[in-house]
Amino acid sequence: MKQRKQKRRFTGADAEIELSMTPMIDVVFQLLIYFLVTFSTADVLAHLDISRPSPEAAQTKPKPPADMIRVAVMPEGYAINGRKVTEEELASMLKRLASVSTKQAVLVTCDDQSVHGKLIQALDMCASCGLSQISVMSGK
Amino acid sequence: MKNRFQNQSNGGINMTPMIDVVFQMIIFFVCTAQLEQEQFSEFIKLPGSPNAPEMAQEKDPRTITIEVDGKGKVSIARTPLSISKLRKILNKTVADYGVHGPSIPILIRADGDVRHGNVKQVMDACTGAGLYKIAFVAVKDSLK
Repeated sequence: MKQRKQKRRFTGADAEIELSMTPMIDVVFQLLIYFLVTFSTADVLAHLDISRPSPEAAQTKPKPPADMIRVAVMPEGYAINGRKVTEEELASMLKRLASVSTKQAVLVTCDDQSVHGKLIQALDMCASCGLSQISVMSGK
Repeated sequence: MKNRFQNQSNGGINMTPMIDVVFQMIIFFVCTAQLEQEQFSEFIKLPGSPNAPEMAQEKDPRTITIEVDGKGKVSIARTPLSISKLRKILNKTVADYGVHGPSIPILIRADGDVRHGNVKQVMDACTGAGLYKIAFVAVKDSLK
């Protein structure tokens, strides 16, 4: 009788037959925390398409046509059609020129010493005005 | 007594193998999803450009992404390259694709703080190989 009682306790206990959830929940929480920590929202990327005159063509055609919008990016600022302007002035002038036609060609000349971010800023202004015919040339 | 024991073990479905398999699948998907990002260096601070058109989800499979980091080092898929090496690779790729070669799109992921001279070299290598579809990558919208 005594032996039977022991056996019954061993086999009949519910807790020993049911799946123990605790370790699984532990692991799932660990995974959850891992993903939360390593999760980084991916940036939405944009592309700025440009066309670039080939090096040979640039040499044979030193002077760009006058009807182009000429934007120069220099380390100290911007210039449009040969006149030095600030960032805001460039944006407003591009907007004015773009209101005439967005099919106009824009020639962006970038100085070697200027940072890439400034060129992107200039290209971004062109994109916001809807100007899409952009060539990038590199000046000295 | 014996009956009761059997009922209990047969009645409930054993969850352990299923959970094992599900975890394996989760890990598999997590690993494969990150492979795409691994191609690009995370040390490049892309310049912001809120007005530029958004990058298409499906890009041309031929697209070559060239990276220029903050120090002006050029690399493709985390492989550092010299300009002459880059030029050789581009020339060879264009030659391999034959007629479709010159229309291979180029994406330049350049750090916002790098001098334009370094980016210029990359662009010159592209135009030298006859590639004309060049685009710069910028961050449209940062969620951070």
